[in-house]
Amino acid sequence: MKDWATLTTVEEMEAVTNSLLENGKKVGADTWQQRVKNQTPHCGFGEAGTCCRICSMGPCRITPKSPRGICGCDVHGIVARNYLRFTVGGTAAHSDHGREIMHTLHQTSPDGNYQIKDPEKLIRIAKEWGVETEGKDIYDLAHEMAEVGLMEYGIPFGTQKFAKRPPQHTQDLWDAAGITPRAIDREVATAMHMTHMGCSSLAEALIRQSLRAGLSDGWGGSMMGTEFSDVMFGTPKPVDTTANIGVMEKDMVNIIIHGHDPSLSEMVVHYAQDPEMIALAKSFGAKGINVAGVCCTSNEVAMRHGIPMAGNFLNQENVVLTGACEAIVVDIQCIFPALGPLSKCFHTKFITTSPIARMPDSEFIQFDVESAGEKAKAIVKMAIENYQNRNWDLVNIPAQKQNARVGYSVEAIKKVLDTVANSQVDEFGTTKPLIECIHSGVLRGAAAFVGCNNPKVRQDAAHIGLMKKLLENDVIIIVSGCSAQAAAKAGLMDPEKAKEYCGAGLKRVCELANIPPVLHMGSCVDISRMMVLASDIAKDWGINISQIPLVGCAPEWMSEKAVSIGNYVVATGIETFLGVDPYSKGSSEVTELLQGEHGINDWVEAKFVVDTDIDSLGDKMLECIEAKRAALGI
Amino acid sequence: MTLFERVFGGNDYNYARTVAAIDEAIATYGEAEAVSFPGTAYSLPCYYAVTGVKITNLGEMKAAMATIKEKMTRNNRLYDAFESGIASALCAEFLEALKYLHGAEPYTEPEMGHLTDAFVRNLGVPLVTGDIPGVAVIIGGAEDPAETVELVKSYQNQGILVSLTGDCIKHVHDAGMKTGENVRVVPLGYEMQSVIHVVSVALRAALIFGNITPGDFKALSKYTMDRIRAFVNAYKPLSDEIVSYGAGAICLGFPVISNETENMFRVPKSLIQQLDTSKWNATSLEARDIKLKITKIDIPVSFATAFEGEIIRRGDMQVEVDGSRVDCFELVRTVEPSEIEDHRITVVGPEIEEIPVGSKISLSYTVYVAGKAMQPDFESVMERKFHSWLNCIEGVMHTGQRDMIRIRISKADFEAGFKFRHLGEVLYAKLKSDFEAVVDKCEVKIVVDAEMNKDLRAQCNEVFNKRDDRLKSMTDESVPVYYTCILCQAFSPSHVCIVTPERLGLCGAVSWLDAKATNELDPEGPCQIVPKERCIDEKLGRFEDVDEAVCKYSHGALEHVTLYSLFQDPMTSCGCFECICGVEPCSMGVVITCREHAGMTPLGMSFSEMASMTGGGVQTPGFMGHGKQFISSKKFIAAEGGPGRIVWMPKELKDQVRERLDATALELYGVENFTDMVADETVCTEDPEQLLEFLGNVGHPVLSMEPFDM
Repeated sequence: MKDWATLTTVEEMEAVTNSLLENGKKVGADTWQQRVKNQTPHCGFGEAGTCCRICSMGPCRITPKSPRGICGCDVHGIVARNYLRFTVGGTAAHSDHGREIMHTLHQTSPDGNYQIKDPEKLIRIAKEWGVETEGKDIYDLAHEMAEVGLMEYGIPFGTQKFAKRPPQHTQDLWDAAGITPRAIDREVATAMHMTHMGCSSLAEALIRQSLRAGLSDGWGGSMMGTEFSDVMFGTPKPVDTTANIGVMEKDMVNIIIHGHDPSLSEMVVHYAQDPEMIALAKSFGAKGINVAGVCCTSNEVAMRHGIPMAGNFLNQENVVLTGACEAIVVDIQCIFPALGPLSKCFHTKFITTSPIARMPDSEFIQFDVESAGEKAKAIVKMAIENYQNRNWDLVNIPAQKQNARVGYSVEAIKKVLDTVANSQVDEFGTTKPLIECIHSGVLRGAAAFVGCNNPKVRQDAAHIGLMKKLLENDVIIIVSGCSAQAAAKAGLMDPEKAKEYCGAGLKRVCELANIPPVLHMGSCVDISRMMVLASDIAKDWGINISQIPLVGCAPEWMSEKAVSIGNYVVATGIETFLGVDPYSKGSSEVTELLQGEHGINDWVEAKFVVDTDIDSLGDKMLECIEAKRAALGI
Repeated sequence: MTLFERVFGGNDYNYARTVAAIDEAIATYGEAEAVSFPGTAYSLPCYYAVTGVKITNLGEMKAAMATIKEKMTRNNRLYDAFESGIASALCAEFLEALKYLHGAEPYTEPEMGHLTDAFVRNLGVPLVTGDIPGVAVIIGGAEDPAETVELVKSYQNQGILVSLTGDCIKHVHDAGMKTGENVRVVPLGYEMQSVIHVVSVALRAALIFGNITPGDFKALSKYTMDRIRAFVNAYKPLSDEIVSYGAGAICLGFPVISNETENMFRVPKSLIQQLDTSKWNATSLEARDIKLKITKIDIPVSFATAFEGEIIRRGDMQVEVDGSRVDCFELVRTVEPSEIEDHRITVVGPEIEEIPVGSKISLSYTVYVAGKAMQPDFESVMERKFHSWLNCIEGVMHTGQRDMIRIRISKADFEAGFKFRHLGEVLYAKLKSDFEAVVDKCEVKIVVDAEMNKDLRAQCNEVFNKRDDRLKSMTDESVPVYYTCILCQAFSPSHVCIVTPERLGLCGAVSWLDAKATNELDPEGPCQIVPKERCIDEKLGRFEDVDEAVCKYSHGALEHVTLYSLFQDPMTSCGCFECICGVEPCSMGVVITCREHAGMTPLGMSFSEMASMTGGGVQTPGFMGHGKQFISSKKFIAAEGGPGRIVWMPKELKDQVRERLDATALELYGVENFTDMVADETVCTEDPEQLLEFLGNVGHPVLSMEPFDM
């Protein structure tokens, strides 16, 4: 048995949450813990995916006594249609995030609000896309690339440019299965059309489109979101930060940034460091300004600036419950509408900024590229001025926090691997040192943890529990999204301590490469980084992605985006393990397609594995890794 | 076959044959037959270091196989491969120990087999200073023996200690290369399992210098990984047995570089395939993060610390500079920058080719140094380095100092084109690199003329006399500050030396002036100023300032240290001390023994055994490591009565310290020829009764001293 003593346990985190809920009780705050109780039990038809309300003849609910809807669609068609719609909700969201980034790129200028911080990366992608770079001003090139990128959303012919990135074998599989993604908006529109009343009811066709739409996200919209965020804000490299609620500062103006699009958070971070603003904060009696993040915005700014991470998805109310949050500033996705009423119980300003995410009980300050700086400054100022309104009787910032090293983009991972390569023997800038570790058995394999929190699973327990299990078994872990924050809060990204929990092989790797055993690759759009990494490993190794002892895992997922992600991860050839069922269990056919040996597995050499027993899910992940090793004869 | 399967296979093979060998030995000698290696206080050192258990006889060894078997788990995890690698190494140690049964001497030249504790302790200082930048463990041999020899020489030229196992011994021997501790090429044995003897050195280093608790394997492997810069070069073919040793080596942090490709795997920084064996040197140094101190010196022969111990016999000698018969000396003078020209080396008199072979000649060299930060006090510090620098020249031997020097230049060097001028080149290059912060300009003048040297020697003796007067006036009371020395912390992380004029560092290598110079050269470096303003107890040598310094620089491991007491918070040691003293309770005196003395003391303990009582920054009241020079200091255990407490020393050590010790005793106790009153191995070895009788007969002053206040 290992001594996990230096980790922050789920129980300790829950104790802290409970103390914050006590704070909430004093002011009559409503929280998700209560709302979950109110909503339980959930609708059985909804959970099974067997309710159809696509036309107004229904809603139709499938039972053994009424096996078909009014139009005659069977349970398989209904479940598959619901699944596809669920998927493209996520595809649309992720890709629209990517689109916003491209619009921001289009308006970059040397003296504007947004600049090009990684010109080399821009040039590299331009060459990959066949855009002439010679003799061009970097901003002219950026604007041209933005236009080319924006065309990816609606280009009438052909397929996604980034879909040429994976190994040829993967591309061949996609072509054979007819799922190579076309224009992103088209895949979403096609999905909505296919699921319209009186169109597709053939489960196989609907699942095929789910994969295709997912791929247009992972290898299209999300990938653009990631790549061009790097171009504008810098490609992440390892940086030390801290995580968990204790990162909030009692004597400072606390501004929490929450959401997904770094365009907003970058500006807020910038102005919070402005000497004029700091002076203003001091004039209000604060020691300074503390910006901390929640959810994927947190991942973005932690990776690039070391901004502390206050918590993940289900912690978003906790930051307000501290009574020490001057402002919670949000953009898009995963924002509880509950924050509006909750903020009214405290002095907290709830500031929405995107026309995509409008909510009652918020102050709406519309963010756009031209006025971003001015608006961010106004928001910071508003937070500072709000410091004086704090009710000090309600201030409760639990001391829980851990150190974390974050910022492992694919580029950074290769740099780390270069540090263990030997210049007398090895090439640099490849994933080969990692492959050697896996090939020799020092590492058994790798696991990509992604996804959210979901009250159906004890918060963070599945993320942390599974990670511990894999670390002990010499499986290196890459993470993104709220899974990353779960790991960071627990202490699994502590570069000094976390390696002590690993098997001898992974521990040695961490020591030699000076890394934590859990590598933070970014926000949920950054799962596209994981796809690039898997592709590079396959190419460097000379095998197919599906042969790599690599698994994906989303043990606490909840959003439509997560289903879109799941589709593209599986379609890329990576077996994906889910701890929450994707509303598909009502159809044996859909379940077989997604999880069986001869469904999507025949098309893309990977499938979903769903098991709500987390321990059993972990065993299955290890079995999958060992089976892939055995198949390779290693 | 997977890598782990190979490790497990090699381990199974070793385990089976070890069980058989032990059974056979028991059948011959019985279970009570003693088991030991010569010259070590650490039992079977690997087994002891790993498990914390000392094995003394065959019966215990047989029982220990159960502990080894426990390590032989077979899950497909690196942990299991590491444990099996260690299990395999422990089996190898047992097999080797069986060779020494019943007083056997299993190894003959050039094979050395087991290496003693003294060997390990001798490595302390050079490993710390980087003079030995690493340890190469060569296994097997190249297809072309010349390639093996080339590889060994490449490491030797870098000062790296080389251990040889297998065919490489024959290759090196056939090529006529000298081997042994003094040239840092150590042939262990032809059998693969003999590689354990170098592992034994690494593990004892952890116990001796790192104060690792035997049996704390986690701390042990962390120490070897972080601090022992060893690596393995294994020629193909690699048997499963060797692969299992490799797992053990990698477990301890030592990478394996091989040209084997059959059934072989790669692991970054740990198991490296380098097919081009001519690149093994560069590949290994990079893999183990070994940085060489590069001094490029323009001479026609090699220059490396590995040659420091080389001996030039009379028959191999071209010329000899003989200070015992003719006027010779070495001297550093501080001058104004305008007086000299940088890098000018002049030879007054004939060059080497004009002198008949076998001549004993008069030669002097004066090194003129100018620099803004140069102080005359550093002159002697620099001069003391000449001995080691000139010895690093391949084929040159230097002994003595000041006007009592002897230098032999070999015929081979003469053939290679070595000139007197090249001595100047070496002195110039080393002064400029090692004392970079104080030496701005440097010029060397070599005089090969008996007449001139006669006058020059007289002038130079005036300089020495003045220096001696100043040194004599330099006491612990007369200087304003002391210094720390934490050079050893690379190796012994919780030890701090406090260096005072009358108490030099326990390794004997760092005097107060050395420490002062080191501080000037690198103000952030290992020697930090310790003020001596807040004295708590003058007799014990207890200062608040000193306590603060040891606490700070030992990172809290030590809180109090006295300068002059053996019982009250005695000064700690790293483990590389020249001498160790321990209380002799019958006479209320102290026994001192030194590293060179292999025999017993009246305490019933050898140097190794006494040394194992302390070291690694541990305070053991009643035992203390120290330098030879400290013995004749008035401050030697002054709190307990001073050097008059010394009742026993090895004869050889007595002769080395006699002159100064007698002078000190005369001053302190009014006793003439005190050294003669100190017993040695010719009077008694282990029997305290004999010792008491001797002390009574000579009227040793300890008999009239108060009993120790223990």
